[in-house]
Amino acid sequence: MKIAAPTQDNSVPLTETERAMHVLSRLAFGPRPGQLEEVIDMGVDTWVDEQFESKPAQSGLLANHLSDFITLEMTPGECRNFTDVPLPPNAGREERRKRNQARRKPIDELTQAVALRAILSDRQVEEVLCEFWRNHFNVSFTKGYPSQAYIPNYEARVVRANVLGNFQDMLTASAKHPAMLHYLDNHLSRKPPSKAELNDIEIKARNASGSRDRGTEAAAIAAQRGLNENYARELLELHTLGVDREYRQKDVIAVAESLTGWTIHDGRKATYDFIFKPDMHVQEDRHFLGFSLRKDKEKGPGQGERILEILANHKGTAEFVSMKLVRYLTSDQPPSSLVKKVAKSYSRSDGDIPSMVRTVLNSKEFWSREHYRSKFKTPFEFLVSALRVTGATVTKPEVLGDALGDMGQPIYSCDDPTGYYDTAEAWLDPGVLAPRWELALKLARGDFKGIEMPDSFFYELPTEKGALRWMQAMIAKVLPAGASSRTLAMLFQVIQGETNPDFDELGPVALGLLLGSPDFQQQ
Amino acid sequence: MNSNLSRRTFLSGAAAFGLASQSHALALPQFLAQGGPESSGGLVVIYLRGGADFLNMIVPLGDKDYEAARPTLKLGGDDGVLELNKKWGLHPSMSSFKELWDSGNLLPIVCAGSPHRTRSHFDAQDFMEFAAPGNRTQRQGWLNRYLAATTEGEPDSFRSIAIQGLLPRSLRGEFPVLAMPSNFGGRKDTDTLDAFEKFYGAGGMGERPDEGDDILASGTVTIETLRRFQEILTQKTTGDFGYPKSNFATALQRISQLFEAGAGLQIAGLDYNGWDTHTGQGAADGSQARMLANLTGSLAAFCRQLGPRLKTTTIMIMTEFGRTVHENGNNGTDHGHGSGMFLLGGGLEGGRVHGEWRGLDSGSLYQGRDLPVTTDFRDVFAEVLRERLDFKLPKGFFDDYSPHKIGLFA
Repeated sequence: MKIAAPTQDNSVPLTETERAMHVLSRLAFGPRPGQLEEVIDMGVDTWVDEQFESKPAQSGLLANHLSDFITLEMTPGECRNFTDVPLPPNAGREERRKRNQARRKPIDELTQAVALRAILSDRQVEEVLCEFWRNHFNVSFTKGYPSQAYIPNYEARVVRANVLGNFQDMLTASAKHPAMLHYLDNHLSRKPPSKAELNDIEIKARNASGSRDRGTEAAAIAAQRGLNENYARELLELHTLGVDREYRQKDVIAVAESLTGWTIHDGRKATYDFIFKPDMHVQEDRHFLGFSLRKDKEKGPGQGERILEILANHKGTAEFVSMKLVRYLTSDQPPSSLVKKVAKSYSRSDGDIPSMVRTVLNSKEFWSREHYRSKFKTPFEFLVSALRVTGATVTKPEVLGDALGDMGQPIYSCDDPTGYYDTAEAWLDPGVLAPRWELALKLARGDFKGIEMPDSFFYELPTEKGALRWMQAMIAKVLPAGASSRTLAMLFQVIQGETNPDFDELGPVALGLLLGSPDFQQQ
Repeated sequence: MNSNLSRRTFLSGAAAFGLASQSHALALPQFLAQGGPESSGGLVVIYLRGGADFLNMIVPLGDKDYEAARPTLKLGGDDGVLELNKKWGLHPSMSSFKELWDSGNLLPIVCAGSPHRTRSHFDAQDFMEFAAPGNRTQRQGWLNRYLAATTEGEPDSFRSIAIQGLLPRSLRGEFPVLAMPSNFGGRKDTDTLDAFEKFYGAGGMGERPDEGDDILASGTVTIETLRRFQEILTQKTTGDFGYPKSNFATALQRISQLFEAGAGLQIAGLDYNGWDTHTGQGAADGSQARMLANLTGSLAAFCRQLGPRLKTTTIMIMTEFGRTVHENGNNGTDHGHGSGMFLLGGGLEGGRVHGEWRGLDSGSLYQGRDLPVTTDFRDVFAEVLRERLDFKLPKGFFDDYSPHKIGLFA
């Protein structure tokens, strides 16, 4: 196993070991123990084909974990019922506790499921892409109740169902999902009430209160009910075209009006799922990005669906989505040559996601040494890769969510509709390493409650051939494709002068340092 | 246990840092050498993320257009609006600011903002915090540019801090600034710093990391700076300054402690999230009212804790854009254009509302719907840098913009 520092010369092609490490770092959350050798043996291409085509069998351990969860498969309606524990006006502590528990459960279960899948699933490409789309079409528990009733189903029906499918399908699924309708307020967006409706409201309020002023006021308040631009703007800015490209404020309003009436079914016998309500809808002829939308042609939700179709087929969307995907998989400075290729593949395949990823994988840009280990891991990538590389066992999955919270990336809790960024610029501030170091040491020392290091991890290291050999074996486990010269020098300094090293003591120290080293923050 | 890795007491740890610690313990940082902390003063930058509705913070009293545009959100005398003068009032939840107004320590600015037309949160925040509207290539925050421009030789990473997990963009850039969440500290964390000191600390290899190695550089600043800040923050504070119970209040308390320690802190940054009130904004009660009570109550307590230091401190409160003058269909407001700002602290031209006001008839509004921008945010930034931090702005400090003097300081 190679331990020397990788070469800095970008014209030198990646070695087979480095290629395997690169693919396991970008299309998986890092190698599991022994996995690098496996991929080298079977060949990188075979591993990739298997991920896309024959789909490796799912790990039994993961299935076991997932079978503990009861809210993951619920429909929005079922989960609403589950979390909607009524609270009587004079509720006691016990009743409050029960309700809070019911409302907390979907959040906890989904958080754990997302992290466990990333750690344990053998379908790593799928998990890596889920993480991308989760952030691209961000929704967040921070929006408050009832987001927790909707988001578990959003993960299933929007993200996972389409992750190896088609962009337009995922876009449409997100636009019609109660989690998105609620998160970006579209469920409230409606046509302002008509004169007749306002008269009606005024008369009702006047009769009820016996006051003319009250009637006028009620009508004035009702007259303000109407359009909400929140979703329409983010749909254009973040989900499809990219900010201020191709569109203006008038387009935001056109989209918002087309999507009026796209709301959540509530009231009697509510499904809490998507419904189109004609009486909220603004039915008009429109022009949008050079297309004429005739109200007599596309009726009801048809105009909104047509807008989504136009957006999904727009060149601007192909470019923007490709740029983000290339940035995520390849480099914080996505090479424009590769973005062009992927955008072309998007257009040719009508937004087929695997085709786009394959185009990245078939490019010389992706495999260039320039991009090898050039991405700074997000907290999520750091945690997941640390647990994978050590082969640690998760005994209490609830600790995963807390750890991500401490590092600033709790799952499905990014307030901003941008989702979490995946670039170093967004994460690499002075100070951000401190909680990572703490986690690294805790894990290595066996102090990470709820996570257990396998005993074999340390026993497998050879102690009889001296400290140097022992250290090389340790590095080979954590950074199997090699460490930087600085990290090597630092680690050797740690064991230097130890004529009679106590490996039981040194083991956790060295492992903690390696997991917290600059090398391990990169992928 | 290997002796190199055994836990150190703070003193021996500090000794291992050599230069870094000594220079702060024994000598004033170079930028203060001429007059000490009191001379240039401190700056606290509070960013209200989400596009805060300033129109319901600084309320035009008895304005018929305002009342007509906001049937459910409007605030008036009946709602307990706090009258500043005949023309302006504060949101009823901002009584703590009324006291600061009365003592001349509050300067509201109406219709402040960015000339750029974007209504995207993320672009608007970038443009403002990099102080470069429309320019996506400027990636160094305006405060970071100031810190870098006033540095000769080794940068002094105690000059600035953000009490949160990630830096606000205004502090991002080549000058090292630490992001530290308010819950970080304590013995366990000291252990961690000890363990990684060899790996990342400037003392470890007897050399600083190569330029361009961002991860190492980040680690080095973390070790050097965090330890020193922690030492200050683990000291007990005395006094009850009337902080509300909130994360925002806790972070402000920490900032005040760091200023008090006189260790050279000059600029602190802090974000307050959640001002994107598309729905359920509320008027005298509601989500905005609750947040305003926390914001202003915390800041008033912060001013009390600063005590005499308030005289030489400026607190800036800003947001990326204002919101629509008309409320939307959902008891909220959508993304607008012009917003506002507050300056707090000593030396201000207090007791008046700054900024040109053109009224709210649709002919006076930006694109017929939003407040116009009559005070460019860069004019405010420039004045604060000049007056509070004694900084002579070099030409080109703002890309393609020469700031105007607007007279915010007495």
